[in-house]
Amino acid sequence: MYGVVAIVLLLPFGKSFGDTTGKIIIFNAGSLTIPFAKMEKIFEGRYPKVDIIREAAGSRKCARKITDLKKPCDIMASADYTVIDQLLIPAYADWNIRFATNRLVLCYTNKSEYAKEVNAQNWYKILLKKGVVWGHSDPNLDPCGYRSVMVLQLAEKYYKIPGLYQRLIDNRPKANIRPKSVELVALLQTGNMDYSWEYRSVAVQHELKFVELPDQINLGNYKYDTFYKKAVVKVTGKKPGTFLKKKGKSCTYGITLLKNPPNTQAATAFLQYMLDPQGGLKILKEMGQPPFIPCRVPTAEMKARLPKSLRDLVEVGE
Amino acid sequence: MRREPFFWISISCGLVIMAFILLPLIEMMTAPSLSMLKETIKDKDVVRSIWLSIYTAGLAALISFVLGTPLAYLLARSSFRGKRLVESIIDLPIAIPHPVVGIAILSVAGKNYWIGQILSELGIRIMGSVTGIVTVLTFVGIPFYLNATKAGFEGISPRLENVSRSLGASMSSTFFRITFPLAWRSMLIGLIMCSARAISEFGAVVIIAYHPMIAPVMIYERFEAYGLKYSQPVAVWLVTISLLLFLILRILTSGNRKKI
Repeated sequence: MYGVVAIVLLLPFGKSFGDTTGKIIIFNAGSLTIPFAKMEKIFEGRYPKVDIIREAAGSRKCARKITDLKKPCDIMASADYTVIDQLLIPAYADWNIRFATNRLVLCYTNKSEYAKEVNAQNWYKILLKKGVVWGHSDPNLDPCGYRSVMVLQLAEKYYKIPGLYQRLIDNRPKANIRPKSVELVALLQTGNMDYSWEYRSVAVQHELKFVELPDQINLGNYKYDTFYKKAVVKVTGKKPGTFLKKKGKSCTYGITLLKNPPNTQAATAFLQYMLDPQGGLKILKEMGQPPFIPCRVPTAEMKARLPKSLRDLVEVGE
Repeated sequence: MRREPFFWISISCGLVIMAFILLPLIEMMTAPSLSMLKETIKDKDVVRSIWLSIYTAGLAALISFVLGTPLAYLLARSSFRGKRLVESIIDLPIAIPHPVVGIAILSVAGKNYWIGQILSELGIRIMGSVTGIVTVLTFVGIPFYLNATKAGFEGISPRLENVSRSLGASMSSTFFRITFPLAWRSMLIGLIMCSARAISEFGAVVIIAYHPMIAPVMIYERFEAYGLKYSQPVAVWLVTISLLLFLILRILTSGNRKKI
């Protein structure tokens, strides 16, 4: 009943927003699905004539849908900001805003072995103990999987303990690997596993306890990208028996408005809401994906290319 | 029935169903090239996973046989209060979504539950182990064995057993000398149904055990990592080998049909 009244009261205001109507098509990385769903609900509440259509997929797949399949799209949000730089700029987009980060954390529950002792200093000693069951997702199927392995490699270099990586892997039987990292959450919650590697956002969304690791190894801070690069993981290639190497890189999210999008007006209004520290960024923060406040573009020149309404929400920064 | 419209309706419905089942399967079975199939079966991982699938499904059938036969007999021969309830409980694993089965089994196998605590003290691990795979496969397969065997027992007249008992045979001797020889064919069908169901299970197993990989999990992994081209040959081999096994079982037993 109140809902109906509210909608009736809002209707005249809806008109005053000018052309903010119609569909907004957003391609987003899978890990953004939950926060974007919440933003959609709030934004559509403000602009009842807008209908946000989201398609979630892997970030590269999202870009391929635009470049190869030529699917119509207004906004593309990538879990790896370099995907926008590499695949969309300059032909399909002019700019790329870094708006959030994610990082690897070590999840556990009250029932996990050594749950009371584990911390950022001793986590690897605990993972080396016999009888502690820990796992990560399949590096060949899930980016979170190879990133988890990268954290272990970086730990060896950061803590300067030669052989640490191999010793850790030796204490993680193959049986502790699952296709996707989210599946490990169920193993933790049912007491079949003590520790698992997850993105921070997954840990927060599933209300798990987690150990935060130093920035140098958690793949969350792009300032350490040159150090992250030292982690190299072999994953399967295009056919069985072939492999390719993945290099460490920070989990930095990027977003862009495509050139000549189907609905410029509404899509820009959504970005204005999304990049607002009191709007979308707040939701990201609540969901465990630390946002950049304010959001960043690399150069002043790129900032000048942004729509006017977004410029105040963005700073120029490395 | 001949020449009547009903006859023709039955025939055309039958043809539609046959096409519905066979066309997609034939398409899948013929998609991979021969050289691809050859290459696949040379892959040790593939052979290992198909073998693991067959023997875990076989073990599930064996467990169902040992534990299920007395219960199927009881359900066929006696009526008691709550029998309907027991029968519905038996059918539950058929109705539950597969991942839920996996999660449910994990939740009793974990340290948060007393069974899990006992298992861990005994050194038995469900997660990521062959024991876990067999547990899941038995869970999903046992209803098929129970139902087929129960139907088999119900088809045997209790009079035969009564005669045997009245001549002084004990209950167990009656079962092994009269009932079992008459019912073993439906038991075998139950075993085939149970292992067929078990060999096809994916959703529940992948939650319990990704490694060691049974064939359906490997088909999924290959599909996710390399696409259709490399997952289809594994599927073709699994389907072919299991069809052959079931066919051999049926042929081996068809000679005795007349006895029933």
